[in-house]
Formats: sequence, structure tokens, C-alpha cells
Amino acid sequence: MNAPSPPSPTGARWGLKTKIIVSMLLVGLLPLVVGLGMAFWQGSQEIREVSGESFEALATEAARKLDLLVVEEIAHTARIANDPTIIRELERRRDTPSNSRTSTDLERRWMNRENAAVKSLTDNSLSALLRDYFSGVHSPPGQLLPQVVRSSTKMLFLTDTQGALVGTMTDHPAFRHRDARWWQGAFNKGVGKLYIEDLHFDERVNVYVFTISLPIMDSLRHGAVGVLHRVIDAKEFFSPSTHTIRFGKTGHVMLINTNGIVISCPILPTGVPLSEPSLTPLITPNHSGWVQASSDGHGGHETSVIGFAPLPETNRATNGSIEEGSWHTFVWQSSDELFAPIQHLFSWVLMFGLVAITLLVSLGYVAAGRIVTPVRQLQQAAQAIGRGELERPIQISTGDELEDLAGEFNRMNAQLKAAFAGLTSQVELKTQEVRVLQQSTDQILDAVPTPILLIDAHEVVQYINQAGRESFPAQGTVPGSSLFSILSLDQAQQKRLQAEFRANGNAPLTAAMSTAETAPRDPLMPDTDHDSAKHRAQLQIGSRTYRYQWFRLPARPGGEDSIGLVLRDTTDESRLQDQLVQAEKSGSLGVLTAGIGHELNNPLFGIIGLGEVMQDEQDMEMIKSYAKDIVAHGRRMAAIIRDFTGVIDRETSDKPISVPMEHIVDQALTTTQATVEMQNIVIHKHYAGTTPVLVLPDQLRQALVNLVTNAVQAMNGRGTLTLTTAVAGKTVSTTIADSGPGISKQHLSKVFDPFFTTKGQGEGSGLGLTVARRLIRKCGGNIRLESHEGEGTICSITLPLCSTPFQQGDPWTTSASHSAPQPSHSS
Amino acid sequence: MDYFGFALRTTAITFLVGGLWGAGALLSAKERSTAVGIAPEKVADYIHAVLEADRSLYTTHVVNRMQEQGIVAATEQWEQGKGLPLPAQFLQHSGRLVAEAGYGIRYKLIGFSPIYQRNAPATEFERSALELLRRQPDRPVTGVVSSGRKQYFQAIYADRALSPACVTCHNSHPLSPKQDFKLNDVMGGIAITIPLE
Repeated sequence: MNAPSPPSPTGARWGLKTKIIVSMLLVGLLPLVVGLGMAFWQGSQEIREVSGESFEALATEAARKLDLLVVEEIAHTARIANDPTIIRELERRRDTPSNSRTSTDLERRWMNRENAAVKSLTDNSLSALLRDYFSGVHSPPGQLLPQVVRSSTKMLFLTDTQGALVGTMTDHPAFRHRDARWWQGAFNKGVGKLYIEDLHFDERVNVYVFTISLPIMDSLRHGAVGVLHRVIDAKEFFSPSTHTIRFGKTGHVMLINTNGIVISCPILPTGVPLSEPSLTPLITPNHSGWVQASSDGHGGHETSVIGFAPLPETNRATNGSIEEGSWHTFVWQSSDELFAPIQHLFSWVLMFGLVAITLLVSLGYVAAGRIVTPVRQLQQAAQAIGRGELERPIQISTGDELEDLAGEFNRMNAQLKAAFAGLTSQVELKTQEVRVLQQSTDQILDAVPTPILLIDAHEVVQYINQAGRESFPAQGTVPGSSLFSILSLDQAQQKRLQAEFRANGNAPLTAAMSTAETAPRDPLMPDTDHDSAKHRAQLQIGSRTYRYQWFRLPARPGGEDSIGLVLRDTTDESRLQDQLVQAEKSGSLGVLTAGIGHELNNPLFGIIGLGEVMQDEQDMEMIKSYAKDIVAHGRRMAAIIRDFTGVIDRETSDKPISVPMEHIVDQALTTTQATVEMQNIVIHKHYAGTTPVLVLPDQLRQALVNLVTNAVQAMNGRGTLTLTTAVAGKTVSTTIADSGPGISKQHLSKVFDPFFTTKGQGEGSGLGLTVARRLIRKCGGNIRLESHEGEGTICSITLPLCSTPFQQGDPWTTSASHSAPQPSHSS
Repeated sequence: MDYFGFALRTTAITFLVGGLWGAGALLSAKERSTAVGIAPEKVADYIHAVLEADRSLYTTHVVNRMQEQGIVAATEQWEQGKGLPLPAQFLQHSGRLVAEAGYGIRYKLIGFSPIYQRNAPATEFERSALELLRRQPDRPVTGVVSSGRKQYFQAIYADRALSPACVTCHNSHPLSPKQDFKLNDVMGGIAITIPLE
């Protein structure tokens, strides 16, 4: 109310205002329509009931009136019938035996309208008496026949006991009536009875008539001596009574008989049947009542309310009994007229309804306005709050829930503002923290001596630390330069790096890095590493060599991951290592040479000695014996050389074969015995049978020789050597245990390192275990050393168990034939 | 009525009949004549006895029982609905049926103060007979009456209010001229008329 009306919401949907108006309209309209219908229905029902009962009462009243009229007329007629003169005359006629011939003659002449005959009947004493009665000569002043009755009486005549005419007022009647129903009914076998004949058309008088027949009883009232018959014009007789009863424009009373023939009606002519035959049984029962019929009997087919009642006294005499043809009144009013009040009411209520609807719409409009305006205000305020723009508090003073709601909105707005204010300060604080973090990270990274670069997905360097900046003086602006504009690489390296970068710097590279870190170059490692050297994570930039490593840097939500590149300058490191290896090689060669010399010297001196002896020996037998010894010494030397070459010999076959582990262990033992003093060594063997392993037999044997040699040397030629093989699951474990002094803890972690040795100069190369481990790993196995100082050392080798059977004739069995000395590849 | 003449004629007839019967009996003792007459008084007595019995039975065992059991009541307008004829109507209607049977015999109820005028005494004889019965209700009044040349024997018996229904109806009917009847009062008479031919 206190703000300008906002533009209405989108046109397609119904606004709150329209809904309120429509609901008010419905709330008002529904009861109105229902009420209207109910009122109309109830009203119609009431009118029907009331009219029906009124009509019934009116019909009953009219019936009584008409009944009385008829009864009165019967009484009038009875007065004639009780006249003593007539009774005496008819008694005389009864007692006088009639002459049938005279009677027939008279009948013929009456039929022929012969004046004398007519006169004899119309002018006789009885006829005169009838006329007198009719004109009221014999009646007391109060009992004069009314004019209507007189004019409506069309015939009045007397018959004797034979039904023959004996006196008449007019010349209309027939002569003989013995066979007429009315005569038989009234004479009633001499007993006599009132008989009212139902409506019929009389051709003699040319109108619709009913008749009253009264027996003339003898003076004792014992039996009938004649019949008095009166023919009355029904319309003329009843119309003064029925036609006067009118109500409204169409309401009237009519008289009908059981056959539905109209006796008297102000609208229908006498003698016609009711328009609807089915109506007749409804309205002609022997009691009064009212019905709602589907027609009005007057040609109309509207639903009509009809009251009806029988004429009780008259009906007792009509056609001789109460069942045969009775007369009934019939009260009817046109439906249009009857229901006119309810129609008027309906119109009025309709008008009232229209007024009510108009009022409802206006009221609804006003009410909706009162509700909707503050709601819209609230809606706008809510939008403003949503945008954070609500400055002034909402002002709604409707004094109801809407005002409370506005208050809540204001409170909510205030709280939101407060909350937002707190949030902003917090955000600033966090931003500062982040900034500090970033700075510290930068400082840390700058402090790192290796170059670190962060590259985005488009190979653009995002960050480069201090070391990087120093190592690679940027050509362009950093960040923002391409990676390869910073790192000046040759074509091949650039391509490799790009490929790795596209693969997002994944596992193989890091693996390469780790290998490089954990395993310094093995000088004895065969050239198998030669191929992978190409892939080594190593870059040559200018004169310097770098190892590098990719790492993935998770992006912040929504951004792309960056990739980090860490470079490590290994130029100096590899130079140092190379120098070291070179020194080690020289040392090793010395040891080796000394070993070979020592081994070969003994048989050589033997050969020399024998050769010298042979020079002076004449005995051929002795010479042969010496030669034999020389050959033995030569063979021994050959074996020694073979063994040495076996250390460094590359496996002739790269294909592993299935061999029993125990055989290889035995072979290794035999080989060792040839080179190391083992006389005082007790050897225990605990084999698990023949356990197949898939290996390169010569290499494995070499590894075992190294291990057994180590063990024997550790015991200083005195102690117990225990060799064990066992199968556990799918692995074969072999242990070589000695009873030596063991290895100290500080040395235990280094025993596999190349060139590590506890032996004196020239006694060991420090490569035995290194070589052994490499060979065993090559066979898919592993080696572990367990040792406690003073308790000896246990060397465990695990190899996968082979499921395929042994291959006979494979090189391992013939490995002994590798006797030819080969130049050593070892460096 | 000429009572003297009537008595004379009756005596003559009696003698005549008696003489004829005697002669017949004498002439042919074996052949029993069918002309043996019964005195009309006797006939009237018989008829009256039958009527009384019938009506009494109807009143006691039909009307009273039905009314006591609440099944149906006697009502004047019995023809127009559910109801039994009143005992008086029962007698009047049976009288009409008997008359219509054509034997010439009639009986009816007549009253001093009837509800309907048609049940008033129709002749002087009936009127005087009722007067007589009012004083002497125990014996019927009999006589011969004539219409033209026809003669009839008429016996009129006193009729009492036999049941409470009679009294109630007559005392409450709007057309009843006398409304202080008591049970067992003589309300009128039963007139039995027999043709003498």
C-alpha cells in the first residue's frame, strides 16, 4: 500500500493476485450455485407438495359439492317417485294383467308418432303429474326445482313393471325400456334401486347426458311397481358448479368418469376423453389424492400436479355399483403458472448471485492488493538482499504476519551483513598467509642448489628458481618463455624431452632416476646396460651433464596440472666415479694377476721340474711317467684358466634352462675345492632331492662359486660348511652357512657394494658378492645375507621353482667343456 | 288397516285351509298333500331366529374378534377401503340379497330415529308396530298388509342394541337424530315381510 505497485510477474503464469481473486470467487460462487440449485429444487418440491395438497383439498371439496348437487337432484326425483298417486296408479297397472296386444299396438303407434297415441301418453294423468312436479306445482316454496335443473332435464318419464312407457313429459323417449341397462338396474328384479347411468351421448336429445333412474316402490315399499327415469344434460347441469371454481389463469376443476371421459370442464368439451389415456388410472382411484403426472390431460405434456377426489354418494349409484364407472373431480393448474413463483425466485436469486459475484470480485481485488503488495515488497527486498544491495530496512506496517516477516527479513539482512564483514577480514588474513607461504616457498626453492622449473601444459615455463636462473640465463622473460628456449638442447634430446613431457613425465623416467641414484655404475656390469644408456634421464646441456626428474604438481581446482622438472648437475660426480672405477680396475687387475700367477706357478714349476728331470732321464718308462705328470699339470693349469675365464665369461646362451639346483651347488663346490684349500672344512649337505630351477646354469654356478669361496675364506680353512636346499611354495631356497667369524653390522649393509672387501690387498677384488647378486637376480632370484658376529654367516638364495622337466643334454651338463681359455671381458 | 276384516279373512282362510286339509286327510290318508301350510307367524319366527343367529355370530365372532385383535374394524364406509360392514349393514345388505333372489320375501331394519331416512318406517303399520314394540318389545307385532291387490304378512320384531358398536355408532354419527342410546335399548325393529299368495 505504501509503495508503488511493482510490474506484474511474467504474464504466462498466474500471479498471486489472480489466484486470490479466483479463489475468493470460487469460494463465493460454489456455495451460491449449490445453494441456488438446492433452493430451486427444494422450492419446486415445496410448491409441488403444497399445490398437490391444495389441489387435493380443492378436488375433495368440489367432489362434495358436486356429490351434493347430484344427491339433491336424486332427492328431487325421489319426491316424484314417492308420490302416492303415481304409486297407486302403477300398483293398479301392476295388478291389472296387461293386454300385450294393446301394448304392442300402442308401441307401434308411439313409434309412428301418431297423434292419438302420443297424446294418450303425454297427456295422461301421470304425465300431467310429472309436469306439475317439474314446474313446481306440488313443491313447497323452498323446494322448487332450480332453473338450471329444469333446463338441463331433457327427458322425464315413467315406465311400468314391464318397462313400457306409461307417462312422459316430452315425446322423445322410446316406448320399451325393459332391456335398457338403466331400467334393469333401477327395477333390480322388483327390489328397486337408485341407478345413475354414466355419461353417454343421447341421440334423441343430441347432447351428452347422464340419467337418474329411481324405482317407484309400492305403498308398502316392498317391491318396485315402476321406474322413474330422468335424462339430464351433463354439461348444462354441472357447468354452473364446476365452471365457477377457477383459480389463477388456468387453474380449474373438472369432472370426469373412470374412463377418462370429460363430464364437465371449463376448457374441454363434454364427452371427449383426456388427452393422455395413461393419466386416467392415476387420478381415478376410490380415494382422494394428488399426483405428479407427465401430462395435464389437456394436451400439455409438461409435468403437472393434479388433485383428484371421487364423488362418494354418486358413485355408489353410478352404473349400479361403486366399482363400475365412478365419477371423479380433477383439479389442475398449468405448470407454467404453478411454478411461476419459483421461476421468479430463481431469477431474483440469479440477479442476487450476479451482484454477489461482482462484489466478490471487487472485494477479492482489494484483498489481493492488500496481500500482494507487501509480498512483492518482500520479494524485491529478498532480491536486494541476494545482491547485497539492501540498504534501507523494509517498511511494512500491515500489523499482521507479513509485518513480522518483514521484521525477520530486516534481521536476516543485518546478520548477513555482519557475517559478510567478518568473512572479508578473514579472507584478507588468509590471503596474506598465502602470500607469505608463497614467498617462503620461493625462498626455499631459490635456496635449493639444483635448478627447478615448473612448466604448464603448453611447455611454457611458469617458474624457475634461483639455481635455474643462474644455470640457464633466460633468453626471454621468465616466466612466460618456452621450455626449450631456456634449455638449449640438441635436436634428439629436445625430441626425447618433448615426448616425455607429453607422456606427462611418468614412471619410467622416475624409475631411471631411482636406478641411477641407488646403483652407482657397476664397473663389472656387462654391456647389457649399453642400450638403456640412451634412455638414461640425463641431459647434455653445453658442457655439463644433468640428471633430471619430472614431477607432477597438482593444480588448484579448475586449473591444469603443472609439471615440474628437477635437474641435477652430475658432471663432476660422474667424472669422480669414472676415476674411482679406473683405480679399482687397476687394483683388481693386480689382485687377479697375482692370483693367476700363484695358481699357475705351482703346476708350471712342476712341469719345468719334470721337464728338467726328463732331460737327464734315460729310462723310457720313467720318461713316460714324467710326461704323464706333465700332462696332469697341464690339465690342471687348463682347469685353472677355465675357471678364471668362467668368472668373467659371458653366458654363451641367454636362454635359461631347467636344471637341478643341487647339481649346480655340487659343481660350484667342486670348482671351489680346486682353487681354495678345503682339507679341514667339514661339509654338510641337506638337499631336498633334485629341485628344478630355470636358470642360466653357468652364471648361477659362478655366483655359487663366489659365495662358497667367500664362506670358505671366511672360515680360514677350518670349520663347517653347510649346504641346504629346500622347496617352499613355488620357490627354491638354498643356504650356504659357514662357521666363520661373521660380518659386523656396519659391514653387513655394504657387503654387496662393488669393491667392498674386508680382505687384504690382493686377496679379493670386492666384486664377488656384487657379481653373485647380479647373476642371481638375472636368474629371477634374490640373495640375502644373515650374520651375527662370532656365529658365522648364512647366505640365502631364493629362486623360482621350475615346473618343466629337466632338459637333458643342455649346456649346463657340458659346461665343463668350456675349457678353452677366453680373453676376459672384465675391466 | 281394517283389523276386523283382516281377522275375519284370516279366520276364513284358516277355516278354509283347515277344512281342505281335513277333507284331504280324510279322503286320502295315505296321500300327504303338499299344500300343508305353515303359519306365516312361524315362518317369520324361523326367519327371525336365523337372522338373529347370523347377525349375532357375525357381531361376536367376526366384528368383535377382528377389532379386538386389531386386524380390521367395522366401518360404515367399508366398501371404500379396508373394513368390515357394521352388523346393521350386514343385515340390511343380506336383506337386499334375499330380496333380489326374487322369492318375494323381504326383511329390513327400521328405526324410530334412523340415521338415514330410508330406514324409517315406510308404512303406517310399521310406524304403529314400532310404537307398540317400544312398550312391549318381547313379542313381535304381526299383521297382513296390502299393496294394491297384493297382500303380505308382516312381522316386526323389536331390535335391541346388542353390542357396544351399535350404541357408539348411533350416538356419534353426525346424521343420527337421537344420540343417547344405551346398550340393550330397543333401537327399532326387524321387519319381515312374506307375500301371501
